[in-house]
Amino acid sequence: MDVEKDILRWFDGQLSIEELKALYPNNDFRNLEKTAFYSKQFDVPKIDEQSALNDFKKRSLEKESGKVIPLNFKAFLKIAAVFLVMLGSSYFLFFNNEKTFTTDVAQSTSLILPDNSEVILNAKSKLSYNKKKWEKSRNLQLNGEAFFKVMKGEKFTVNTETGSVEVLGTQFNVKERENYFEVQCYEGSVRVTDQSNTVILKPGESYRIINGKVNPVEKFNSKNPSWLNSESTFNNVPFWQVIEEFERQYDITITVDNINTEEVFTGGFTHSNKEVALQSITIPLKISYKIKGDNIEFYNYEAK
Amino acid sequence: MSNDNSNLCEEEIFNAFYLKHIQAVSNFAYYKCGDKDASLDFVQDAFSKIWQNCFKIEFSKAKTYLFTTVNNLFLNSVRHTKVVLAYAKHSPYLDRTNESPEYILEEEEFKKKLQLLIAELSDEQREVFLLNRMEDKKYREIAELLDISQKTVEKRMSGALKFLRNNLGDINF
Repeated sequence: MDVEKDILRWFDGQLSIEELKALYPNNDFRNLEKTAFYSKQFDVPKIDEQSALNDFKKRSLEKESGKVIPLNFKAFLKIAAVFLVMLGSSYFLFFNNEKTFTTDVAQSTSLILPDNSEVILNAKSKLSYNKKKWEKSRNLQLNGEAFFKVMKGEKFTVNTETGSVEVLGTQFNVKERENYFEVQCYEGSVRVTDQSNTVILKPGESYRIINGKVNPVEKFNSKNPSWLNSESTFNNVPFWQVIEEFERQYDITITVDNINTEEVFTGGFTHSNKEVALQSITIPLKISYKIKGDNIEFYNYEAK
Repeated sequence: MSNDNSNLCEEEIFNAFYLKHIQAVSNFAYYKCGDKDASLDFVQDAFSKIWQNCFKIEFSKAKTYLFTTVNNLFLNSVRHTKVVLAYAKHSPYLDRTNESPEYILEEEEFKKKLQLLIAELSDEQREVFLLNRMEDKKYREIAELLDISQKTVEKRMSGALKFLRNNLGDINF
């Protein structure tokens, strides 16, 4: 016999207290009897059922019209993240003031800046500026070659990887290619700043950095950069730079065989006739060439 | 549960369901939190849930759903205070014939002790104990109501009784 189990049965109404007492005559159930009796006498608030229902109806109506959704912080974060992404992307879509112009191989384009300054962009070049900040400071990023006709006004700065060119109002050409940086001043004066030097160029002066080596300021005789007239001209320029320029203007690749590309070249080539252009850069250096589709091989005919 | 096909989404049926159970479920909530207003809030919230999900809830399960929802709402509420229930006024003593001051004093002391000990039971033990005592519910009914097994109910009841007995100074066991 298990008194615990029978007490449980008594509380469940399966056994009367008399039966329990008879089963366990030696046990004192007085406190349990009192517990069973007095634990029935707690006061429970009486609910006015009908008015509770009326309250409930009011409340559920309110709920339908203006349901309070508790702020779920995780969901809130998700939504906030989505908003941030949308905000960010819309910023770039609608408020991106960065204006960029690019030209491909064998292309050149001319454009007018907000201050009516003129820029002519040579082949495979990229020019960008911030439209919004333009009024305050005329700042441009250049990668490649461009000719500038700057209207008089506040400082006009062309930034390149190699150095920056500052002017007030003038005409100048900036050529920034791999291992080659050249600024030519055609009118007014420009200040060129690179990592180590600051040079002021007068009209007809040019400044070059080739393979990181700074060349002294040189004179030149022309009113405009030759490429504006569909011609590339070179004055004591390493031949590899001529080849690169040729590749940019004619969308071809040139391979060289047994040729010293460090040899300096003075001359030029036209942008309108490939045959003529090829001859004008190869004959002075006694070079022959073979055309294989888009690839041209230069070789030294004297060596063969 | 004669009308198993009843639809709680019909307002009349819902109202009848509400009126039938409001007092019992309020008592249950009251045993849990010992606060009249808070328990009514739990109950109204639980009924709201049923109303909102009326098409999902089988009528035969609605009562259990009601009680378990109150239970969950209570568990989710931050406030867990000690529940000291008050005795009803003019409640009789066990021995109605004995009116001696000593007896009355003794019984009052016992009642007070019992009241405080019930407050010290765990929430689970107290709700089972009070449903059994106050509502005269069988263990089977409590199990059904709370959606737990009868064994669990018996275990909680047994734990509650042992705790009360030991602390009321019963030395005969």
